[in-house]
Amino acid sequence: MEIVVCIKQVPDVPTVRMDRERMTIIREGVESVINPLDYVAMEAALELRQKVGGQVRVITMGPPQSEVALREALAVGADRAILLTDPAFAGADTLATSHVLARAIERLDPFPDMVLCGMQTTDSDTGHIGPQIAEELGLPQVCGVNEIHVEGKDLVVKRLSDGFLDTIRVALPTLLTVTKGLCPVRDLPLGALEAAFSTKDVLRWSIDDLDLRKDEVGFEGSATRVRRLRIPLPRGNGEVVEGSPETLVNHLLRRLEALSILDEEDGKE
Amino acid sequence: MEKNKAFDGVWVFGDYRDYFQNRVTLQLIAKGKELAKELDKGLTTVVLGDQVYHYAMEYVAHGADVVVAGEDPGLKEYQVETYTAVLARWIQAFQPQVLLSGATSFGREFFPRLAKRLHTGLSADCVALDVDNKTGLLVQTTPSFGGELLAEVVTPNHRPQMATVHPGVFRELPHDSRALGCIIYPEIGPLPEIRLKRIRTRPQLTHDIRLEDAPVVVAGGRGLGSKELFGLLSELAALLRGDVGATRPAVRAGWAEEDRLLGQTGKNVRPKLLISIGTSGALQYTTGIQGAETIIAINRDPNAPIFKLADLGLVGDAATVLPLLLEALRKRV
Ligand SMILES: Cc1cc2nc3c(=O)[nH]c(=O)nc-3n(C[C@H](O)[C@H](O)[C@H](O)COP(=O)(O)OP(=O)(O)OC[C@H]3O[C@@H](n4cnc5c(N)ncnc54)[C@H](O)[C@@H]3O)c2cc1C
Ligand SMILES: Nc1ncnc2c1ncn2[C@@H]1O[C@H](COP(=O)(O)O)[C@@H](O)[C@H]1O
Repeated sequence: MEIVVCIKQVPDVPTVRMDRERMTIIREGVESVINPLDYVAMEAALELRQKVGGQVRVITMGPPQSEVALREALAVGADRAILLTDPAFAGADTLATSHVLARAIERLDPFPDMVLCGMQTTDSDTGHIGPQIAEELGLPQVCGVNEIHVEGKDLVVKRLSDGFLDTIRVALPTLLTVTKGLCPVRDLPLGALEAAFSTKDVLRWSIDDLDLRKDEVGFEGSATRVRRLRIPLPRGNGEVVEGSPETLVNHLLRRLEALSILDEEDGKE
Repeated sequence: MEKNKAFDGVWVFGDYRDYFQNRVTLQLIAKGKELAKELDKGLTTVVLGDQVYHYAMEYVAHGADVVVAGEDPGLKEYQVETYTAVLARWIQAFQPQVLLSGATSFGREFFPRLAKRLHTGLSADCVALDVDNKTGLLVQTTPSFGGELLAEVVTPNHRPQMATVHPGVFRELPHDSRALGCIIYPEIGPLPEIRLKRIRTRPQLTHDIRLEDAPVVVAGGRGLGSKELFGLLSELAALLRGDVGATRPAVRAGWAEEDRLLGQTGKNVRPKLLISIGTSGALQYTTGIQGAETIIAINRDPNAPIFKLADLGLVGDAATVLPLLLEALRKRV
């Protein structure tokens, strides 16, 4: 089984702080990690390789420092890593990002049987990339998968979708986005990271290597523009009441009455 | 009504599968109508299935000027690839300016694929939509970093301007059985081969569906102190015809299931009324509740940050206030 896992380096959410005056993200002291669900995808890929053989390749589009994420993937056992990096790729929305990723995957030899993505990232949280890669590559897609079985040339997968537990059969090649519960994430074996830095190579592809034009990637190739960033503002101060428990309950009841919460049924004509 | 104005205005994907999805559709019809008015256009709902006439009628009664419907046995099952093929074809023919779907599981896997085929932009899980009165562009407000930050996104040069929208953000219009609208059935065209076979599908009813749609939410935090006290919230919720939510410490303590978690890593709710009991008001929690129309907080610490957010704050001990409140309510309801 030839598997490609798309991983993204994201800021570690607990270390992200907002500057409420300037309405920006404070970059200092923010650590980068592999998007948690991409970790799950990687583990799933390695588990499948163990069962049915084949190769696990990881791929990311990002700034040069994303190489660290790929090195970590190599350390946990990925066979090959490809970094798609070019100044022209910067500022991409999901349309442009998925285009670069799809183009790169298309050029892989052999073409994968399975492409895995996380269902969502913790920073942009769109979940668009998986379906959009599938569309560009003409692959079927199943989103939010939490169980994968290989049955001959098919996959049987499970996923929870809008309150229904689906069991789905899909032929290879296919694209899946994965979610929590698919498999436990192991800790990195000691020393593996150093080994990955010294022994394995990370392939680098630029805009020219992928035969892409500037106007189809990055900011230029994006359909959306961020007009403004805002921090959700707190609401205005309300009334704060102190007093005996009875007083408090009376205040509450009066408010419920004012909101017609208590008489919803009688209230209707 | 000028019909031609309606066809290229604001389109809403009509998801009728279940009560919850249908509600989201109705909410979007109401909001889409508002947006369409600002653009001097109409509101169109597009609905696919094997028999959709009664849904089409319902959408008209809830405000749709036009319903674009497709009936075919091959459309009965919600399939991303089939729906992408049909909708892409119709969008290219009718050229709407705006296309919206609820951010349901299906919406969130269908719309990215459709946006890609149409080569246009898409924003995810929006919590606000507005028309910029200078440019006429749709301003799509979408959360990032789990709601810590809101981004206002526009799609200047690509059409349609697409967004999935968080359920419960907008309010549906009342049913008006006298409303008039037009239902059209454009040619569907060839359907792609179905590559994804559902072997089995069974309902996995989680509370979240009800929780996110509940008009009243009663949320409890660490301050409730015990599983017993937290358990009283179910009765309070039942008396107020609402549902129960929880902060992370309450979930961690095992007082509530994970799917009741509110906030950045849990659910966003926008009920008419939210009562928050024994919660400090940490930002990661309040992002999930600040869409509530009214917030009432009970906390024994007068300086708790939750009081800054609350419309009514009660400084008191939950262990005494809660049983007393229940007693009073039982007498009334
Ligand atoms: C990355 C990240 C993501 C997170 N995501 C979430 C999330 O999605 N949802 C979430 O809820 N949290 C989340 N948290 C945790 C969040 O920061 C807070 O720790 C949490 O919301 C606090 O919950 P609490 O208000 O129940 O508890 P506390 O902060 O401990 O507050 C308890 C409150 O109860 C009051 N109290 C105590 N006893 C009584 C009494 N007898 N009667 C009345 N009041 C009493 C106290 O005065 C206090 O204000 C996240 C944290 C991080 C770092
Ligand atoms: N820049 C990227 N490089 C590689 N994979 C990505 C990138 N961005 C997103 N992905 C993949 O797409 C998934 C969903 O991301 P998103 O659509 O941004 O929420 C992630 O979990 C990754 O698997």
